[in-house]
Amino acid sequence: MEEVQMLEAQIERLQAEVEALQRQQQDNQKDITFQFRGQIASLCGRGPVGEKERVMSSLKEEVEEMEEDLRRQTQMNGISLNGCNAKTLRSSESKVVQQLCLSGRCSELDFQVEFKLSEVKVSSFHSLVIFLFSLLIWDFSAFQADELVEESCDLLLFFRTLRTFSDRCDDRSKTFQHFQQKYPSVVSLPGGCRSEVMRLSVVFSCVLFVRWSIDVSREGGVSPNIELLTKIPDQDTSKMCKKRHSLVFHLKRGKNAIV
Amino acid sequence: MEAASTKAGVLSHLSLLEVQARSRRTQPQQQSRVKELKAKVEALKVQKQQLEAEIETHQNLQKLRLSLDKQCADEEDVEMEEDSENSQLLRLMARHTQLKDLLHAHHLIGGYDIIKTRQGKGVCVSLATAYEGVYLDTYNLEIDLKPTVKIGRHNIPPFIPVNSLAEVNDMQTNMRAFLDALSQHLNAFAGRKQQLKLLREQHKSIEVMESNVLCSILVLMFKVPSAKTAVLCTLDYTDHSSCLPTRVHFECEDKQLPDSDQWKKNCSLLMETPVHTALTAMKKMGDIV
Repeated sequence: MEEVQMLEAQIERLQAEVEALQRQQQDNQKDITFQFRGQIASLCGRGPVGEKERVMSSLKEEVEEMEEDLRRQTQMNGISLNGCNAKTLRSSESKVVQQLCLSGRCSELDFQVEFKLSEVKVSSFHSLVIFLFSLLIWDFSAFQADELVEESCDLLLFFRTLRTFSDRCDDRSKTFQHFQQKYPSVVSLPGGCRSEVMRLSVVFSCVLFVRWSIDVSREGGVSPNIELLTKIPDQDTSKMCKKRHSLVFHLKRGKNAIV
Repeated sequence: MEAASTKAGVLSHLSLLEVQARSRRTQPQQQSRVKELKAKVEALKVQKQQLEAEIETHQNLQKLRLSLDKQCADEEDVEMEEDSENSQLLRLMARHTQLKDLLHAHHLIGGYDIIKTRQGKGVCVSLATAYEGVYLDTYNLEIDLKPTVKIGRHNIPPFIPVNSLAEVNDMQTNMRAFLDALSQHLNAFAGRKQQLKLLREQHKSIEVMESNVLCSILVLMFKVPSAKTAVLCTLDYTDHSSCLPTRVHFECEDKQLPDSDQWKKNCSLLMETPVHTALTAMKKMGDIV
């Protein structure tokens, strides 16, 4: 009788432990964004013979396909993502709320964004909404990105605008570098080729600055703006005017050839 | 005297035998019950071990995934640890989840989800649209690459000038510029359409007199409480790549009203903010009902 009681108590304990483990496993499965339940089970020895090898080779194939796909998407989208962390905040049969943190780079511009995503699937109704978008890291100060996106949560607009802005920055950088290489005695880039300013030291100790700013409107419109700012010593004004016009003309023509 | 003690001895011996016999009867029942319970204990132990192993594997997978993410962020090369069969499989699984997440992210940020078709002779792209965080319609477009680059089938509505955008943006040499321009037009259209939908939902008291399929023109009728008159408001969206109007015009029996300070402010409001938000603000200020 004692033995029976002891065994029954042991069974109760074990059942409680198993239930707790099953709950933990259910939580884990919510986080896994793939259906790897079978594979994990087979890894632990549960499953038919040869299952492990089969799983391995089919996984290898899938991974290779996905890597090729990722290369294609990166090239087409012009954005290279190097990190994506998804955390499921709430999950029910019809609704899933996730928090995602993405980091990557668009040409020379690094970024890191975080947003919450709510997805509802009820029979044929499907809705996907982004809320609480925040820009964590970005080094493109000219682009008032936080105003652009944090209010509107428009992820698509942000990335479209980022691409266009990045393309214009690249154009500017290439053009500045071209001129510096072609006319090294006249042209200098005090802030580097990624800055807004190109400095021209023309004759008679006068200096011209080309300021090429790239503005981004609230609606995501990207507009480059080229200005010629002058610093002229007084006595050389008249001679300068003539030279300045021809120089500007040459510059503009040269730019059109590049851009 | 000897007879009595022998009798007591025999009696106790008999009762001992009786007890033994009784216990032998109940023992088999007890034994089978004990066997049953022991088997159950074993089964539960096995189940517990299995679950613990799976949970540990999952934790290892998560650790691997975290280290993979870190390696990608730091752009280091993948280290080669001891390559047991299990750890190889785990590493593959971690990479699989990472790739799946990255591809999903590309899709979410409005990527073109480009797919090769017809053995590489063409591609199919998806153009997602969204407004104020809500994902709306997705449009698909097939582009032939061989023999020449040209547009194939698509489900883009006819009032979006796909072919002219292709020409202007030089689709032949710069596919992405073309797709970006097309995406901008589609998103602007989706945005205007969504604004109209929200306006109808949130402002049932405001009559929509006129609208068109492209959502490039909107005529609304406002009731102004102070003037006891109606104001006809025309919003022209001549820039089809924008969600905001290029022109806002008020018509009213009271010719002074559109020139008043308040209504000049309303005009700017309607030019600079989405129409449903602007109307909410105007209602709050009591300019319209």
